[in-house]
Amino acid sequence: MGLLERFDTPAHMPDFIGLPGLLDQWHRAVSNWFDSMVKAQESKLKSGEVVQFFNPTKFDPGGAVIEQAITWNAFPKELLRRYGRQQALREADTLYPLSRYAARYQQNPVFERTPFRPHNEYCEWHVTRDPETNKIKKVAFSSEPPEYWKALHGGTYKLDDDQEYTFTGSPERVLELYRKHVSPNVQPDDLISTEDMQDADGNYLVRKGEYNPYNKWNTSQGIMHLCSPPNTLVAEIGLGAEATILRKNSRGQLIVEPDALICCAAYGGPDRNSDPTIGAAVNALARYGAFVTLGNPVGLYIDHIDLAGWSVPDKGEVSDCVKFTRGSSGMVERLEVEVPASRDFTVSDIKIGGIPIMYGGQIAECITVKLVGVAHVNELQNKIKETNKPKECEARCCIDANHALVLERPVRKNLPLPLGKQTAFLNQGAYGLPDGEPDAELKELDGSLSAKTSAMAEPPGEESSEKTTKPRIYSRIP
Amino acid sequence: MDNITPMQNAPEEPVLEMDDIQGLAIPGFLKPHMTLLGLKYADRQVLINFKELLKTFADEVSTARITLDNRRDFRKLRAQEHKRFPEDNPSVTLIAIGFTAAGISKLTPGAMSISSEAFQQGLAARSALLGDPTEPEAEGNPVNWVVGGLGKELDALIVVAGDKRDDVDKKAEELAERFRRAGVEIAYTENGDVRPDCRGREHFGFDDGVSQPGIRGRASEDSEDYVEDRYIDPQQTPEAWLFALPGQDLVWTGEFVLGYPTTSPDPLIPGPISQTAPEWTRNGSFLVFRRLRQDVSLFWQTMKERAEAISKLPGFQNMTYDTLAARLVGRWASGAPVNRVPEKDDPKLGNDRRANNNFRFDSDSFPFDLKSGYKDKYPMAEADPAGTTCPWAAHIRKLNLRDSASDMGGRDSTYSRRIFRTGIPFGKPLEDPFADQRDDPEQGNRGLLFLCIQSSIESQFEFLTTRWMGDPTRPKTPGGHDILIGQNPAPGENRERRCVIFGSGLQQAQLSFQQEWVIPTGGGYFFLPPVNALRQVLSA
Repeated sequence: MGLLERFDTPAHMPDFIGLPGLLDQWHRAVSNWFDSMVKAQESKLKSGEVVQFFNPTKFDPGGAVIEQAITWNAFPKELLRRYGRQQALREADTLYPLSRYAARYQQNPVFERTPFRPHNEYCEWHVTRDPETNKIKKVAFSSEPPEYWKALHGGTYKLDDDQEYTFTGSPERVLELYRKHVSPNVQPDDLISTEDMQDADGNYLVRKGEYNPYNKWNTSQGIMHLCSPPNTLVAEIGLGAEATILRKNSRGQLIVEPDALICCAAYGGPDRNSDPTIGAAVNALARYGAFVTLGNPVGLYIDHIDLAGWSVPDKGEVSDCVKFTRGSSGMVERLEVEVPASRDFTVSDIKIGGIPIMYGGQIAECITVKLVGVAHVNELQNKIKETNKPKECEARCCIDANHALVLERPVRKNLPLPLGKQTAFLNQGAYGLPDGEPDAELKELDGSLSAKTSAMAEPPGEESSEKTTKPRIYSRIP
Repeated sequence: MDNITPMQNAPEEPVLEMDDIQGLAIPGFLKPHMTLLGLKYADRQVLINFKELLKTFADEVSTARITLDNRRDFRKLRAQEHKRFPEDNPSVTLIAIGFTAAGISKLTPGAMSISSEAFQQGLAARSALLGDPTEPEAEGNPVNWVVGGLGKELDALIVVAGDKRDDVDKKAEELAERFRRAGVEIAYTENGDVRPDCRGREHFGFDDGVSQPGIRGRASEDSEDYVEDRYIDPQQTPEAWLFALPGQDLVWTGEFVLGYPTTSPDPLIPGPISQTAPEWTRNGSFLVFRRLRQDVSLFWQTMKERAEAISKLPGFQNMTYDTLAARLVGRWASGAPVNRVPEKDDPKLGNDRRANNNFRFDSDSFPFDLKSGYKDKYPMAEADPAGTTCPWAAHIRKLNLRDSASDMGGRDSTYSRRIFRTGIPFGKPLEDPFADQRDDPEQGNRGLLFLCIQSSIESQFEFLTTRWMGDPTRPKTPGGHDILIGQNPAPGENRERRCVIFGSGLQQAQLSFQQEWVIPTGGGYFFLPPVNALRQVLSA
């Protein structure tokens, strides 16, 4: 008997109502994602050990329940780390071609002309400027997962877990919502892909004739939902599940430092506000001996916007310039900053701490994103703590010790490091490498490393050209 | 315990320019008495006179080297006398000077390119961002500030600190007289003194400054001449490299002084150099001064009322006012961390700096082996990821996440927010903390001259104030606002601060407070220039 009857739509959004079977299809898809993740964790544990991540529609651990909203800032930390704040603000308001995201997107020219936003904190935004004055008219933020929109549109999709799902959605309803929230000029064909987007591994990002999350109204001309590759609901569930596995360093000590942990377990992007935070919070609950799941409705939400220090040039309220247009209280899916037509100024005239808004990122800095983790502490707490043993690391992060800005994405531990990089947290013995091996690794820095590392994708992409043996479905790292 | 050679791959720490950095920044004055002198200089002739004075005054400013030498003497004495505050400490008086953006730009126009929006605008202009009240009648609104508010902005701040009040007074008066003769207005004077009844504690009665970051840097080319003494046995790698005292994070100097490496994603690898534009700002720091009035009786009366109400709830039967206050601070009055001694204060632990900062939040804690052979035998903190013992809203947990991730990611996001606090209480203590104002001879005029050092006002002091203390969900939940000193400026919420605490059976109690017992009443954003810039740029 499960804790829940079924999974609801993110923020209980009502768009599926009146579309026969869609709510059930959504529930089954989410439930399947949970089951896949539970199964994946089982394979990492030994006999007698307990999977601490669970599908709440299949299992109820009982005991005391602690709901923990795991929060993070919406502005991409990776951009901050790489560029410093001023340039990061500029970068964040630009679109990059998908070919920049991952090496596997570099061979097919379709990815060169398909844009994405360098927003990898489960919150993306679009800035609308007056073409004549360049002043900002509106900034729209979204945390709606792409899977929801594929379901709503309908069709058969191979999602991030490599399984196919069929949804009996409604293209008309999708069109209606786009026209309401993005532009009345959206046409049905605008939302459909006119070509296959196939990567170098033979996988389809989008097939010809499918709903295209990278359509112009969701990229260059506006925003309806998340579409940056790492910002998926499946990734969120996978991250939560993987983080329930305890990890140890080469001395057998538990790894608890959030960045070292994500590098060791390779369950997400280390240069983010979100992934290390989600992972560390879940892992801490797992170490505590709790069963962990995600709160229903499973989703990614804008928790709130901090308006402290905001000022407007007239005597009106600044809060009138902020609208929550989708989702519900505490589970906001869409937020728009726009000056009401009755007031004679623009978003560019609003100041934060005395500084005029020049970039959407200044607003993103004030936005808190969240997901909700749920921990059950029952009579098995001590047994779990005793039984579940920490596992060795699967990967390591690397860093340029002479220019230590970012943690490059995790590299599987049996693969060489990129040229000029060394293992991060090496001095902390964080990677389960046999004693002595770090020395050998350091020596490698002087010598030859695999040439293919030079093909590493540049920011804000994540993927090196190295293939991992791990299925990409369980990680935000493609 | 393992095969790793203790010093293998130990980080090489930068050698600081100790004769150029002001001692207030590194290693901090931390003296029992302080006088602040606020200067204003306006017309052209005064400016010429002031610049002339600065040339000789620069030689009186206490450098990092002088201050560190004095600190080391103090530590030796402390070790000899086995006392936290040795009695035979000779009297030394130290001096620092900082400038507001307006004040330093009068001395050199190049200062307008110091790349800090916050510094250039000043504290009063950023007050609303910090969550201060915006209603003009509110005491905390800059229009009502004692210093630094509208029309009361300073050009410069002189800090005189020392071991004896008489000596500090004498030096402060001598300096004031010298500046007055040059036509400079002494627009603000205020004394700060440690509490004579309980030294080291602020006016609510809590030990203050227990958890200061350690500076990761050296005072000379000597490989072990660390600014911050290292106490942990180096055999205990890598922890020996992470901390000075157990639990005292070593943070790269660039987080406090311009021109040095800052935090990188890996705490043992130096990050980018903190920016120095213009070039003469290298070895300078930013100083934030906030004059915070503390309403002691309001704080304790509220704690008493609220504890009585909570104690009627299941799981909270043993709640007393001092327990509630300790939960909201994260430490008992003595400084003993709630996570190590959840049930009651342990003054011995609170007073033991080898142990009182050694704990983690998300994970079980463990003792360190110290070089001295000291063994930490106090109870160890147990993992508390949900804040059931030390709430996520607790002041110390809001500001220093230790092993936990925050809304900004991993450990580097905590390190890069750390500030070095060097403030001191003002006003006389309130003997009876529950006394009504009519029984208070000081009429509530007591509080903290909060001073902190950083390399970025925006990323450190302002971030901590706005994004963590003043936000109910950041850095972590189930949390709340920093009830001790946070503010809630959110529109429509009437400045009410809220938090969650847990009972013995994991019951949750939602608390809310509209009473504000810490009120900003002044301050300013200052730049502490390097001594050479005082001599060669600002007095030229």
